[in-house]
Amino acid sequence: MNDAALLRLLQLADSALPMGAAAHSFGLETLASEGALQPEGIEEFLRDYLEEAGALNSVFVRRAWRSENPSALSEEWSARKPARESREASLKLGRRFAALVNRWSDAPLIEDHLHYCVAFGAAGVVLGVPENAVVLAYLQQSMTGLVSACQRLMPLGQAAASKILWNLNPAIARAARSEEIRCFLPLPELASMRHRSLETRLFIS
Amino acid sequence: MTLRFAAEGGRTRLRVLQQDPPWKVVRAFPQAGGQALVHLHNVSGGVLAGDRLALDIDVAPEAAAQITTTGATRLYRHRAGRPDSEQQLTISVGQHGLLEYLPDAVIPFAGSRHRLRTQVRLAPGATLFWWEVLAPGRQAAGERFAFERLGAEIDVRVGGRPILRENFLLEPAERPLGVTARMGEYSYLASFYACREGDPAAFWRAVEDNLNEVANQRTQPGETTWGVSTLASDGVLVRGLSVTGRSIPAALREFWRAARRAIGGDDPVPPRKVG
Repeated sequence: MNDAALLRLLQLADSALPMGAAAHSFGLETLASEGALQPEGIEEFLRDYLEEAGALNSVFVRRAWRSENPSALSEEWSARKPARESREASLKLGRRFAALVNRWSDAPLIEDHLHYCVAFGAAGVVLGVPENAVVLAYLQQSMTGLVSACQRLMPLGQAAASKILWNLNPAIARAARSEEIRCFLPLPELASMRHRSLETRLFIS
Repeated sequence: MTLRFAAEGGRTRLRVLQQDPPWKVVRAFPQAGGQALVHLHNVSGGVLAGDRLALDIDVAPEAAAQITTTGATRLYRHRAGRPDSEQQLTISVGQHGLLEYLPDAVIPFAGSRHRLRTQVRLAPGATLFWWEVLAPGRQAAGERFAFERLGAEIDVRVGGRPILRENFLLEPAERPLGVTARMGEYSYLASFYACREGDPAAFWRAVEDNLNEVANQRTQPGETTWGVSTLASDGVLVRGLSVTGRSIPAALREFWRAARRAIGGDDPVPPRKVG
């Protein structure tokens, strides 16, 4: 990867991008609230999560990078997200991400109605970032977002959070290699569906 | 097995176009409103290693059908040298047709290997109510996720547009199911789908709100948990996880009733065996 591509990738995957990602827990808030997710179980949870959602996300980022029709990919992704809040969050992040990338480039590089994983893959290819790097970066920043949500939901310090992310690297690499379309996350998906019923909520999803 | 339902003179008639063992349908029973009720029997008692089963259900425009099973679908232990058993379910509902597909639970026995493929196509104005329950194994034998492999593919489309796609592959020895990212402390998985082509997103949000009240009443954390969500369009999904299977049938009937009232404005007619 050349210097320009690396710098672009680092910015694409920056967790500080102003797109509102910090407002979403994708159901983790319900799991934490109901006691199903505790600080000591976060790493194992995310490793299992990566085996399912990580692998599926990888396939879609890759398909978008390979220039499959982004609108059709996004439509399929909507059908694969059974929980409305998580589906809407993914679409919202995709729109904001596309707006940022198009603004940086002063050109409509990517469509503005795509799910985040599709928009990310589409941005990666038009910005000249190699396919595997785009997939790995997408998964890594997704995990960063979920660990950050955990830090706000339960007692988890910064050093412990960064150690979890470090330990997840092999699982991220495994998930990135997946070519299989499969995902089984009934409890987190149910948690996302039940999020709307929590009495107090810190997150939108 | 190929079942075709057609509307004739205000009633729905069944034609069995193809019938091969182990499935058998004896006859259709007329229900209120002219709907036809069919009981699907599995005369061999279950799905054997290497079985290739196909069930095609075609509901013609304006016809109304309800299909249930006479017992749980038992997936028997895999035998060395045989391929995984497979079941292909193909559903097509024509314009303003109605299908209620309400089977008993699927029970994957210890050592079983099976794949389920479900394809649903809904025409304009067509309605589908469908539930499915996956048990963890033979409860009486104390089995919990002792099967070897269970794969599922679901593809539901309205007018060619996907509204629900699911693919999963459960291999409990490779990827444990009793973890928080999958089923946690729960053992049974239940789903209920209510779909009708043509209603706007706001309509389905109202249905979600309605069914969510039932979900909240039915949820007892640590015992049973239910959630509701609109699909990508044209429908809602109810999903439940439970430690035991006891409360699931009654909960599904309640979701079904609430969904029918919200969507069709009337009460469902339960199949005789569960009434």
